[in-house]
Amino acid sequence: MNKQPLTSRVQFPLLIFSAVFLVVIMPVLNAYGCISDFTLGNWGKYLCYGILAISIDLLWGYTGLLCLGQALFFTLGGYMMGMHLMRMIGGTGVPTFLSMVGRQEWPSFFMPFTSFPFAMLMVILVPGLLALVFGYLAFRSRIKGVYFSILTQALTYGAALLFFRNELLMGGNNGFTDFRMLLGYSLRDVSTKRGLYVVTAMLLVAVVAGCKWLTNSRFGLIQRAIRDSENRVLFSGYATANFKLFIFVISAIIASLAGALFVPQVGIINPSEMETGKSLEAVVWVALGGRGTIVGPIAGAISVNALKSWASSGSTADFWPLMLGGSFVLVVLFMPKGIMGIPGQIGDLIAKFSRKTASSDAPPPASADTSQEAEILSSTASPASDS
Amino acid sequence: MAQALLSSANVMARWIDFSRRLLAGLAFAFAASSLAFAQAPEKSVRETIAAAAIAPTPAEQREIILSLKLKPTPETVTWFENWKSGKIFLYDDAGVVTPVILTGKADDDESFATLKLADDTPYTTADGKPVRINPKTVQFAETDSGLRKAMKEVSDIVALANPDLAKRLRAIQDAAVGQKVEKLPALLVLKTTEKNPKALKALEESIAIIQLRSPVAEERLAACEKLGKLNSLAAHDTIMTIRAEAENSGDTAMANAAKSALRAIDDHLSRINAVGTLFHGLSSGSVLLVVAIGLAITFGLMGIINMAHGEFIAVGAYTTYIIQKIFTTGLNISPFGMSMSIPGMNLSETNRGWYFVVAIPASFIIAALVGVLLERLVIQYLYKRPLESLLATWGISLVMQQILKFIFGSNNVEFTSPLWLSGNWTVNDIVFGWNRVFVIGFAVLIIVVTWLVLNRTSLGLLIRAVMQNRNMAACMGIRTERVNTMTFAFGCGLAGLAGAFLSQIANVNPAMGQVWIVDSFMTVVVGGVGNIMGTVISATGIGVSDQTLQQYLGNPVIGKILVLGAIILFLQWRPAGLFVTRSRSLD
Repeated sequence: MNKQPLTSRVQFPLLIFSAVFLVVIMPVLNAYGCISDFTLGNWGKYLCYGILAISIDLLWGYTGLLCLGQALFFTLGGYMMGMHLMRMIGGTGVPTFLSMVGRQEWPSFFMPFTSFPFAMLMVILVPGLLALVFGYLAFRSRIKGVYFSILTQALTYGAALLFFRNELLMGGNNGFTDFRMLLGYSLRDVSTKRGLYVVTAMLLVAVVAGCKWLTNSRFGLIQRAIRDSENRVLFSGYATANFKLFIFVISAIIASLAGALFVPQVGIINPSEMETGKSLEAVVWVALGGRGTIVGPIAGAISVNALKSWASSGSTADFWPLMLGGSFVLVVLFMPKGIMGIPGQIGDLIAKFSRKTASSDAPPPASADTSQEAEILSSTASPASDS
Repeated sequence: MAQALLSSANVMARWIDFSRRLLAGLAFAFAASSLAFAQAPEKSVRETIAAAAIAPTPAEQREIILSLKLKPTPETVTWFENWKSGKIFLYDDAGVVTPVILTGKADDDESFATLKLADDTPYTTADGKPVRINPKTVQFAETDSGLRKAMKEVSDIVALANPDLAKRLRAIQDAAVGQKVEKLPALLVLKTTEKNPKALKALEESIAIIQLRSPVAEERLAACEKLGKLNSLAAHDTIMTIRAEAENSGDTAMANAAKSALRAIDDHLSRINAVGTLFHGLSSGSVLLVVAIGLAITFGLMGIINMAHGEFIAVGAYTTYIIQKIFTTGLNISPFGMSMSIPGMNLSETNRGWYFVVAIPASFIIAALVGVLLERLVIQYLYKRPLESLLATWGISLVMQQILKFIFGSNNVEFTSPLWLSGNWTVNDIVFGWNRVFVIGFAVLIIVVTWLVLNRTSLGLLIRAVMQNRNMAACMGIRTERVNTMTFAFGCGLAGLAGAFLSQIANVNPAMGQVWIVDSFMTVVVGGVGNIMGTVISATGIGVSDQTLQQYLGNPVIGKILVLGAIILFLQWRPAGLFVTRSRSLD
C-alpha cells in the first residue's frame, strides 16, 4: 500500500499506452497483416477473460468476497447473446437441439431475442437480477467468508446441472453453436472479428476506467473497509449488506458483458463453461496477477491463458493441470500479491539484505520475530505434552 | 422417477438373471445328485423304487410311487429317469425277482456286474458269487402310461421342493406363471408338507393365482380375496386382467373382488415404496455422511477449505483397487513412463472377497499419510488465510488428479464386490440390498469412532483445544503444529475410508471426488461448522430429501437443484447451520 509517487506517475501513462495499444494499434497491425487473425482472435478471448478477472477482483480483491459463481454470470451473458445469435441464423425449421426434444417451433421465450437491443438488455438484466436476489438472500443473513464462496459454488453447480438438461430448451450438453450473423455482419468475416475485438478492448478499457474511478471514490473506500473489517464498518453505521449487494450486482453484470462478447468470438457456448472448475480457474488469474489491483487480474488472465494455449496443445497437454495447479500453490504460498507484488517483494528482500549487511547485530526483522516466538512456545510445550 | 425406473429395470434384470441361474442351478443339482448316488445312496428312496419295480399290479406300483410325494428329493427324479430309460433290470432268480442295476464295464460276454437297486450292494447268488448279467437277456422294468403319470406328479413336486429355501421359493413362484391348472395338484400336496412360513406364503400365493382361472366361480372369488389379503405383488397384473375380463363379461361380483384385492395390493405397494424410498434416502445420506465426515474435521474443525478432499477420496479408492489387485491377479502400472509390476496372490473366489477388509484400514492409512505430507508442505502456512487455503488446495487437487491419471489412466477401474456385499435381505416384499445396509452400518461405525476419538481420547482433547484457540492451546504447552498435522491427517484418512467405501457403489476414476465436493461442503455448512452431530443430521436430512424429491418429481436433476435451493433458503433461517458453536468473540 505504500505506493511511491514515482510508480503512480509512471503508471498512468503506461495505462494510457496499453489502452491505445490494445484498442488501436493491435487492430491496425492486424489490418496490415503484421498480427495474424488467429492471434488477434486469441487476444479477443484473453481480453474477455480479463474483464471476467476484473469482475472477480472487484469482489475479492476490493471487497473480500470470494465469489465462485462468476463463471455462471459470464456464461449467462453468453447464453443471452447465444439466444440472439441462434435467432439470427435464419433458414427454415428449428435447430437440432429443439427438434431433438420434439419441438417443431421456437419456444416463446426465444422470440424477443430476435431484437438485438432486447438481447443486450437481457445480458444485463438476467445476471443482474440473479445476483440481486442471491446476493440479497446471502448478505441479509450475513453469509460471508468461505460460506459465501461455497454457496456461490453451489449456485453455479445447480445452474450447470440445469443447463445440461435438454428439457430446458437451451441446447443441453452441446449448447449453442454454428452462429452466422451479428447485426447484419457475417461472423466469418475478418472485419467482423476485428470489430468484435475492438469492442472487447474498448469494453475492457471502459471497465478498467470505471473500476479505477469506483475504487478511488468514497464508495471504494468503504468497500475496502468492509474487506478489512466488516464489523467496524457496520458499527460505524453503514449498511454493509447494501454496499456488498451493489458491488456483487455490478460485478455480475461486468462478467455477463464479458461472456456476451466472448460467445460470438469463439462461436460456441455450452454449460461446461460454468462448471465449478471454471470459476476457480478465473480466480487463479486474479491471484496470479495480483488481487486488489486493477491491472493485475488482466495481466494474470492474459498470461495464464496465453500459457495455456501454448501448453495445452501437443505433448505438454497432460502436464498443463500440473503446471496450473502447481503454480497456484506456489503463488498462494510465496507470492500473496501475485505478479503485481513482485517488485514490492524484491524491494523488501533488497531492504532486508542491505539492513543485514549494514549491521549484523541489529534486531531481526518482524517476520523472524514470530517464528522465534513459535520456537519458544514449542520448546516449552514439549515436556507438557509428553507427560 | 427416471432413476426409480432405472433401478426397477435393474431389479428386473437381476430377477431374470437370477431365475436363469436358478434353472441352471436346478439342472446342476440334478446332475450332481445323479453323480452322488453311487457314493452316498439315500436308501429309502431306492428301496421304495425297488419295491415299486417288483410290485405285482400296476395299481400297486402307482400307489408306491405316489407315496414318494411326501419326501420329495431330486434323487427320486433320477431314478424315475433310469426306470423310464430301461436301466433297472428285473433279475429273476428261481421265482424271486430282484431289481438290479448294472455297473462297471462290459466283459467279453457283454455282461455287467450288478448292484441291488434297494441297497446298492453287489448282487450275489446264495453262495456269495457276484452275478453278472447281459442286459440283452434280462428283462428291464417297464412303465405304462399310468405309472408315468404318477412319476410326473412326483417329479413336479420334487421340482418345487428344492431343499434350498431360496430356490424352492423361486420354483414355487415360477409355478404360478401362466396359471397352468395342471401345476395345482403338486402345489396343493406341497402345502401339506411345507413347514417354512415364507415358502408356505409363496405356496398360498401361487395356488391362489392359479385358482383365479378355476372353473368354479366361488373358488375364483375366494382366490381373489386371498390374494388381496396376502398383498400379493406377483398377482397384481393377473388381477388387473381378471378385472378387465370380469367387467367385459358383466361379472360384477368378480370385478368387485378384483377391485378390492387390487386396492389392498396397491396400498401395500405404496407402503413398500415409502419404506424403500426412506431406506434409499438413509443409505444415500450415509454415503454423503461418510464422504462429508472427513471434511467436517478439516473444514469444520480446522477451517481449512480442503478442495482436494475429493482427491483424498480417490486416493482411498485407488488404494482399495491396488489391494484388490494384490489379492487377485496383480497389477501392472506405468507411472511417468516407468513400468511397475505388483505381484498378485491369486486367491480363490471366496477368499479374495476379504481384500475389502484389508483395504478399509489401508485406505485410511494411505490417505492419512498423504494428508501429513500435504499439511507439512502447504497447509501449515495457511491456517490464518482460509480463503487462500481454498485456492491452494484447489491447485493441489488439480495436481493430485493429474498424478492419479498418470498412474492409473483416466478411465474407470473395475471392482468386484466381495460376495458378502452382494445379495439382499427381503422383509415383507421390501428389498434391503446388503451393500446399502452395509453403507448405513459403516456410516454409523465411522460416526461412533470419530466421536469417540474426539471426545474420549487425549488426542481428541488436544484437537478440540487447538481448534478452539490455537494460541491459547500453544500457551498451555500443547504442540499445536503436531496436533494440526494429526487432525488434518485424521480428516484425510476419513476421506480415504469414504473412497474405499465408494469403490463398492460408484465409479472409480481420478475425477471421482469432484462429484462429491459441492455436496459435502453443503452438508458441513448446513450441519454447522465444528459440530460432528450437525453433519450427521444434515447428511441424513439432505440424503432423505434428495431421494424423496427424486421419487416424487421423477427427475434427479430437478430434485438436486431444489435441494440446493432449499439449502440456500435454510441458511437464511440459520446462517451458521443447524448447530452453532457459541462464542463471544466477533470474528
